[in-house]
Amino acid sequence: MPAFRSLSARLTAQFALLFAAAMLVVSAALSTLISGSAAQQVESQLQSSGAVYDRLWQQRSRELQNAAQLLARDFGFRAAVATGDTATVQSALGNAAARLRVRTAFIVGADGQVWGIDSAVPAPQAASLWTSLDEGRLTGVSVISGRPRQLVAAPIMAPTLIGWVLFASDLDSKEMRGLESLSAIPLQAAVIVDDHDGWAEASGSLSALDQRDVPVIESHVAQAAAFEMNVRGQRAIALAKPLPTFSSGDKAMLLLAYPKAEAMADERKLQWALALLTLLGLSLVALATWRAAGRITQPLARLDDAAGRLASGEPVQVQVRGTDELARLASSFNDMVGRIAEREQRITQLAFNDVLTELPNRTMFQQQLDHLFRAFEGGGGIFALHCLDLDQFKVINDTLGHPAGDTLLIEASRRVRQAAGGHFVARLGGDEFIVLQSVGDDRQAIDRLAREILDTVSQPLTIDGNELVPSTSIGIAIAPQDGSDGEALLRSADLALYRAKEAGRGTFAFFEESLNERAQERRQLETDLRLAIERGEFELHYQPLFDLEQNCICSFEALIRWNHPTRGMIQPGEFVPVAEDTGLIVPIGAWAVREACARAASWPQNIRVAVNVSAVQFHRGALHETILAALAASRLEPSRLEVEITESVFLEGGETTLKLLHSLRSLGVRVALDDFGTGYSSLSYLQSFPFDKLKIDRSFIQNLLTRDGATAIVHAITELANALGIETTAEGVEETAQLEELRAHGCSSVQGYLFAEPMTAGDVDQLFKDGAATVQNVA
Amino acid sequence: MVRGLIALAAGLSLAAPLGAAPLVVRVVDPAGKPVRDAVVTLYPASGARAPRSGGRFVVAQKNLQFQPFLTIVPVGADVSFPNLDPTKHHVYSFSPAKRFELKLFAKDQSRTVHFDKAGVVALGCNIHDQMSAFVVVSDSAWTARTNGQGFASFGDAPNAAERVVVWHPYLRTPSGTMQQALGPAQRTATFVVRLRAPPPTMAMDY
Repeated sequence: MPAFRSLSARLTAQFALLFAAAMLVVSAALSTLISGSAAQQVESQLQSSGAVYDRLWQQRSRELQNAAQLLARDFGFRAAVATGDTATVQSALGNAAARLRVRTAFIVGADGQVWGIDSAVPAPQAASLWTSLDEGRLTGVSVISGRPRQLVAAPIMAPTLIGWVLFASDLDSKEMRGLESLSAIPLQAAVIVDDHDGWAEASGSLSALDQRDVPVIESHVAQAAAFEMNVRGQRAIALAKPLPTFSSGDKAMLLLAYPKAEAMADERKLQWALALLTLLGLSLVALATWRAAGRITQPLARLDDAAGRLASGEPVQVQVRGTDELARLASSFNDMVGRIAEREQRITQLAFNDVLTELPNRTMFQQQLDHLFRAFEGGGGIFALHCLDLDQFKVINDTLGHPAGDTLLIEASRRVRQAAGGHFVARLGGDEFIVLQSVGDDRQAIDRLAREILDTVSQPLTIDGNELVPSTSIGIAIAPQDGSDGEALLRSADLALYRAKEAGRGTFAFFEESLNERAQERRQLETDLRLAIERGEFELHYQPLFDLEQNCICSFEALIRWNHPTRGMIQPGEFVPVAEDTGLIVPIGAWAVREACARAASWPQNIRVAVNVSAVQFHRGALHETILAALAASRLEPSRLEVEITESVFLEGGETTLKLLHSLRSLGVRVALDDFGTGYSSLSYLQSFPFDKLKIDRSFIQNLLTRDGATAIVHAITELANALGIETTAEGVEETAQLEELRAHGCSSVQGYLFAEPMTAGDVDQLFKDGAATVQNVA
Repeated sequence: MVRGLIALAAGLSLAAPLGAAPLVVRVVDPAGKPVRDAVVTLYPASGARAPRSGGRFVVAQKNLQFQPFLTIVPVGADVSFPNLDPTKHHVYSFSPAKRFELKLFAKDQSRTVHFDKAGVVALGCNIHDQMSAFVVVSDSAWTARTNGQGFASFGDAPNAAERVVVWHPYLRTPSGTMQQALGPAQRTATFVVRLRAPPPTMAMDY
């Protein structure tokens, strides 16, 4: 089966072939039937003609025989024959012959003599006639004088047999034509005889008998069946009927031939009609199957077409007709198209919109930004990029939970959109929003929009019963001056935002070139920091903590210094935030712990060392392992190591922080809370973890003598710490009055320039050598 | 069978006169069945001896038949034809030995015919085709008919070369007879003859 390009063509071909085959089989069967029936009809016509001839023959025979018997019984005739009265006999025979319309009548005597009229029978034939007569044969065909004749005899009894009277009726062409005219069909009749010399046509209209047909004829004589032979050069259907012969050696038969062309004329007409009908039927079948296949496959073709159009992105619907499988398929297809469209829309939304706030996302913002850049290219116009970041969002998220944070984000996005008044608003992620503002010449519009946003966002709202006053900082960059492409513009806006945050939040700042310079400096610092670890540019300085009860140095706080190869000594306040931002604080912090432990190990047994640990180290560095390794390497008593943390470590991951602190405590390491009193800490921390020490922030100490409040706070802290059994250290003590005050409040230890500035490790060693470990002078 | 015939012939010869010996002729059909009513005539080489002439013979017509069917008479015999039937008969003969017609004679009438020539005379009735009879006018003293066993025996057959002629009403030869020459010592002869079927008897329709 060849590959079809269409189902319709395949169905057409298959069904048409099937029907055509069935039709051809039927037609072939009909054709065979017609042929058979025609042949049968011809044969039956021939047979009936043969039967007619048989009747004629018998009738003629009987007529002649009756006449012969009548004559043979006539007494006078018998007397004439018996007495040899030739004249009488001749006249009697002549009379009878005329009456019977035969030309030959004669007598064969019992003694074998032949006499009569037209009786020129040669002697051998006479003898053979006598033999046949003697055997009792009274009718039959015999060739006498070269002419076939029907002979009829009757015995003459006088009273014994004295001979036979015979009449001979000619079987000539005239006779045959008579027979032919009697037949209903155009027959050709002939008598053929075999008188010892082979078959030959004796009379009739066949003309010369083809000797090649003789075996066929002979074989069909016995079974009285029709056969085909050549007659006058044409095929004919023939029937051969044996004729009784008079002499036993002779053979004769009647041959009836029916020219085949005429015999089969009707059949041929029928066959033509059948062929025509078959052809017509075949074309009808082909047409009908083509139409039917078309009807069946049309819905499929429509679906195929629709699927093709769907693939090329066209929204299509297929017409549904009826309720069959194809209709259901079409209906399903329509549903599918609908769902695909929905999904596409959803995907588009997901790709370009933020799920939470339904604002355009970063991707769409980028496109919009690129679009704006193209639109403003060379146009002389400007547009502003407002980069928003909600203030304190992280705190709100941590304290009120993420659902509350999400609610805030949704509300903030709604407010920003409201304030933006049609300008493009996007959420870049987290609490970061973007407003793209196209501006004409009125640069004041930028300020107005920023203020509008700040005002709108900072309306109070209630989330889960908590009243909040959200605020946002805005960094603004203006294209094209602050960035020639999207990336640069966004960077500029980010720097401006940074500055706005620095400026105290809830405000907006424009990008300035200096911001960029600062950013570059910071990037340089980052690079240098990485190198500094490798080059060993860090150094620990140690500031003594003075125990007020024992009046001696009880501990040193390790303070990191960076000895920059070109910039000289850099203060931690300058590089630690960068190290925290970049994560470099982890290796730097680890180095500091190792270094501090190693140093402290060489100090007197009662001297501790305190190391500052960043929140970043707490959450990202393997702090526990770092400290363990440092203690193991230095063989420092764990109780001589004090870890100083700020409250900020609690802002992220409260539970894990506590677990880590407890694990440090289980090692024997002391934990101190640094900068206590500032920030957002609450007293709940003191309840959740048993700190070894609180370090009171220097801001309280500086104001100790000048502000009443400060004194109260310091007093409260020391009271609280004493009540909880926690030591206290006052930082930044610079004056003796402060010391006195602190001592009065019951502070455990002090630290500051009043006693000693941070010193190198060598100076510490020298200090111990000098034996001035107990700084009596200050006390 | 042949052995039996020879024994019979031997038995017959005991009673034979001098110069003569018994002769047995048998006539059978091709199937070997005996043929009766065949007339066997011996013609001695020395010449035939004439039978005793004269004598009266009767061929009656009774029950629409001639009775008897076959009569052997010597030359010069008179044969009477009494009609014993209630119908009339028209007895005739076209035979060369004696041609005659006894036209329409009634019951109890009798006609006499004198047969003066040797030969077979076939008798018929022009009214009743089925009536047929034969009178064999013999010019030889040795003329006999075969019995039911097909035998014709001559106790005093001349002991010389002779001709034996057999005739039968239905014999199928153009002449109607068959003949054999006998050797000097031959005392038996067998004729195998082919017979025609006797003419059909017609239905009596009166």
